[in-house]
Amino acid sequence: MSFKIATIADAETVAGFALAGVQDVHIHERKEGTLAKMDELLASKDVGIVFITYRVAEELGLEFRRRMRTKKLLPVVLRIPDKTGWLPKVDELQEIIRRTVGAEIIVKGGS
Amino acid sequence: MSTDRILQFELARLNAHLPEQRITLKDALSASDPQVVAKDGSKHKFERVELEYISKIVHADDWDKLRLPILIAVNPKLGRGAAEISGEVEAKVISQVLGKERRNQEIVIYRPEIAVVRAKLPTTTQYFFMVG
Amino acid sequence: MAKAIGVAPTRMELLKLRQRAALAQKGYDLLREKMDALVIEFFEIVRKIGVVRAKTMQQLSSAYRSLSTCFAVQGTIETYQAAREAKKEVEVDISTRHVMGILVPAIEAKPVERHALARGYGVYTTSSALDEASREFEKALGDLIKLAELEEGAREIALELEKTKRRVNALEYVILPNLKSMVKFISMRLDEMERENFSRLKRIKAMLEGRE
Repeated sequence: MSFKIATIADAETVAGFALAGVQDVHIHERKEGTLAKMDELLASKDVGIVFITYRVAEELGLEFRRRMRTKKLLPVVLRIPDKTGWLPKVDELQEIIRRTVGAEIIVKGGS
Repeated sequence: MSTDRILQFELARLNAHLPEQRITLKDALSASDPQVVAKDGSKHKFERVELEYISKIVHADDWDKLRLPILIAVNPKLGRGAAEISGEVEAKVISQVLGKERRNQEIVIYRPEIAVVRAKLPTTTQYFFMVG
Repeated sequence: MAKAIGVAPTRMELLKLRQRAALAQKGYDLLREKMDALVIEFFEIVRKIGVVRAKTMQQLSSAYRSLSTCFAVQGTIETYQAAREAKKEVEVDISTRHVMGILVPAIEAKPVERHALARGYGVYTTSSALDEASREFEKALGDLIKLAELEEGAREIALELEKTKRRVNALEYVILPNLKSMVKFISMRLDEMERENFSRLKRIKAMLEGRE
């Protein structure tokens, strides 16, 4: 099945993705507005992937994490770095590994 | 007891990913969108790269004998971490991937080998948990 | 004592308990194998993520750099304009792949690389900086789509692994020991009752014989 891609980020990042042909973009300004857009995307039947920057996701905080836990399989949500390369202190994948396998496996490739 | 019911449920679910009907390598190669339908109705696609790899190992005459996905049969009686692949052509494919000898109709493989097989043929192999 | 467990010490109950213990043992063995299999799948996907993440981060950095260059060379307003006018065509094909009771997404990018004309922004005002930025982001997009597929897959597998691990632990540390001790208790109780019965019968017999 065919799906669209969406991006939630700062203006520059959004522009970059628009140049690459991403149809649905939302420039983050206020928390409420962005959360509303997220809910819209999560409920949509045509969006397959949502890219959101680490920075914006961090700002949305608990609200973002809660939606990640409760969402359906699609759309897939991937956090990406913006041009500043900002990353949260804790790598989610690392945490998942630690929880499920109970061991420290370092995920190569940075972040 | 509800734990019994949960247990029954989990055991029934173990093989839910397996297809109703497997397809032959021959059919898979000629299909434009090679896939099988699982017991719960969802579709499982085969990667063309894997199909092509297998077609090079298996003699063209045997293409209609090989059924996909190849089943990695887990039977606790074999001991933890062991699995068996049966079928002459299927066993040949696995022994080729691992560079390991096989008995005629089947081959028994162990956890690190299972990992190699799953990494090489992720869509054309599936686990089969022997409940019976 | 039987009341405390809630099961009457009869042969019927013993049989039922033994059956339940056998089922639980079988469940335990199989679910543990499933858990092992999920760990294999998980490690493989994490390995792939390591590879793809490195490549993606590099490409994304490159893309951001070329965008900065574009802002400098082409101008900020013009760049945003081009972004707005870019013909938005990108789509992905998402299907499912089965891994032991869970569905993981299989995502395929439909061809992303496009030529300048198809990109949609005005050919006359275009500059190679804009083209460069577009190209870099298109490449990054391809990598990110792959990464999205892998990371979502890893998340699904991890969830299922956690669930399975909980069941295995419950069976190993609670259910099986419970059932086994109940079987032992009932079995012992039945033996005891049989012995009591036997000695009672002996006494009655002795009494009857004593009368004669």
